[in-house]
Amino acid sequence: MAGSNKANREAPSRGARDQKVKLSDRWRSYRAHHSSTLRTTLAKIFGEPIQTLLTVVVIAIALALPSAMFLVLHNVQQLGTGIESSQQMTVFVEKTATRSAIEQLSEDIEQLAHVASVTYISEEQALEEFKASSGFGSALQYLDKNPLPAVFLVQPKTTNTAEITHTQDLVAAIAALNAVEEVQIDMLWMQRLLTITEISQKLVLAIGIALGIGVLLVIGNTIRLAIQSRRDEIIVVKLVGGTDAYVRRPFLYTGLLLGLLGAMMASLMLVTCVVWLGRSVNALADLYQSQFHLVGPGFSGILTLWLIGASIGVMGAWVAVMQHLREIEPK
Amino acid sequence: MIRFDNVSKRYESGLEALKRVNFELEAGEMAFLTGPSGAGKSTLLKLLMLMERPSSGTLLINGKNLNRLSRSSIPSYRRQIGVVFQNHQLLSDRTVFDNVALPLQILGYPISETGRRVRAALDGVGLLEKEANNPLTLSGGEQQRVGIARAVVHKPKILLADEPTGNLDPKLSTEIMSLFRRFQSVGVTVLIATHDINLINRLDHRIMYLEDGIMADNGVPYGGE
Repeated sequence: MAGSNKANREAPSRGARDQKVKLSDRWRSYRAHHSSTLRTTLAKIFGEPIQTLLTVVVIAIALALPSAMFLVLHNVQQLGTGIESSQQMTVFVEKTATRSAIEQLSEDIEQLAHVASVTYISEEQALEEFKASSGFGSALQYLDKNPLPAVFLVQPKTTNTAEITHTQDLVAAIAALNAVEEVQIDMLWMQRLLTITEISQKLVLAIGIALGIGVLLVIGNTIRLAIQSRRDEIIVVKLVGGTDAYVRRPFLYTGLLLGLLGAMMASLMLVTCVVWLGRSVNALADLYQSQFHLVGPGFSGILTLWLIGASIGVMGAWVAVMQHLREIEPK
Repeated sequence: MIRFDNVSKRYESGLEALKRVNFELEAGEMAFLTGPSGAGKSTLLKLLMLMERPSSGTLLINGKNLNRLSRSSIPSYRRQIGVVFQNHQLLSDRTVFDNVALPLQILGYPISETGRRVRAALDGVGLLEKEANNPLTLSGGEQQRVGIARAVVHKPKILLADEPTGNLDPKLSTEIMSLFRRFQSVGVTVLIATHDINLINRLDHRIMYLEDGIMADNGVPYGGE
């Protein structure tokens, strides 16, 4: 602040003699033009509220749609991570198995290929767990003997779809061991889910790109109209020596602001939807005794959306400016 | 300061607007360019503004060949010139002050000095009290004076004017012309295109006469130059 005051005091005496503008002054005035352009652009945008609102809403919907789909996918994947952990298989031990047979079985499973970890849950532990989690604890005391078998939880090493065949082999290998009653794993369902998510991701990306291009065109068209309505101004500015960058600047700012406002409104739509749906989804998850809860876009997600909106805005404006600004030359 | 060497201009339509025009204007000189409509006066000014390029011949400004100027250096060239248009070319979406300030904003003057120079320029054309008005609320003569203030606010070395008195009555026209003479007296090279023969005959300045694209009289007495 102090620096600029000093420069302002000095400026008149020098300027009266010299037509040249000092570089530091030029830089200061360059920044001043940026901020004044931003201000006048904002004033212009809000000076036509209906027109602006229409454009912004169109942009917002086009941005919100793929974002919402992405969010849905993200939530499904979150549901999927819960399932990935249930990629673990449950090995039920025969009720008649002796303690030594169980110890032998434990060793045998650990020695199999593709086994990440083995956890043993005895009959008693299983009963305790059941009592605690099911809420039928008081009913269980009426049973004269423990109905639950001992269980091995086997975590296979596979994490992605390609290796799922290994898991299938593993299931067969464990089932062939002594004292094994049954091996359970819901693999097919898991495989389908993973494949569907992959396809959906690609689909959302494609829709996102298509709608992004739509936003680009909407902003480009708005800027094109703005350029035409400010034709006189462009001609005068060019006549008195305004550079292309100087002429371009207000339009790029218009694009930036439209894109950003659209993204802001889109994020508002998203957050509203998440809050609105969240309650019902959580209630549903509770009914299924699931830990699942609806995940919103989050701070970084919203920031990314704004960044995308702003960049598309500038790009759309740039395309329009490049197409039309050269046509407007003083004649 | 301004020198035309065998400059011809043929438009794409086939119209030959200028035919081998030669003349030289010294620094600080004031000259009128006259002739019937369609004689090529506007074309000559457009060449000086780099709104058009010559088809052949060379155009030297301050010793620099304009033909060699690339498109990207046109803005910086135009900033050295002040231009007054017949139709004023004022912007109706801003005040008189902001119209006059435009060249300074483009040049990157600090705000405080912009204000000082704009007021000095408006004072020079006697319109200081109208700085906050919209140009549309001014009379034709006042609008033209705002245009002149804008043309000189950045103290150009060359001042061009295309029919600056086109729509004005004789009294206002004389006022405008005396403004131009004031700029010439401080060393500005002034070139004014006008068809107002009566007016310029009363003023003692060089008169160049264009007819059908040919410089019939370059205003220099025989044996001069």
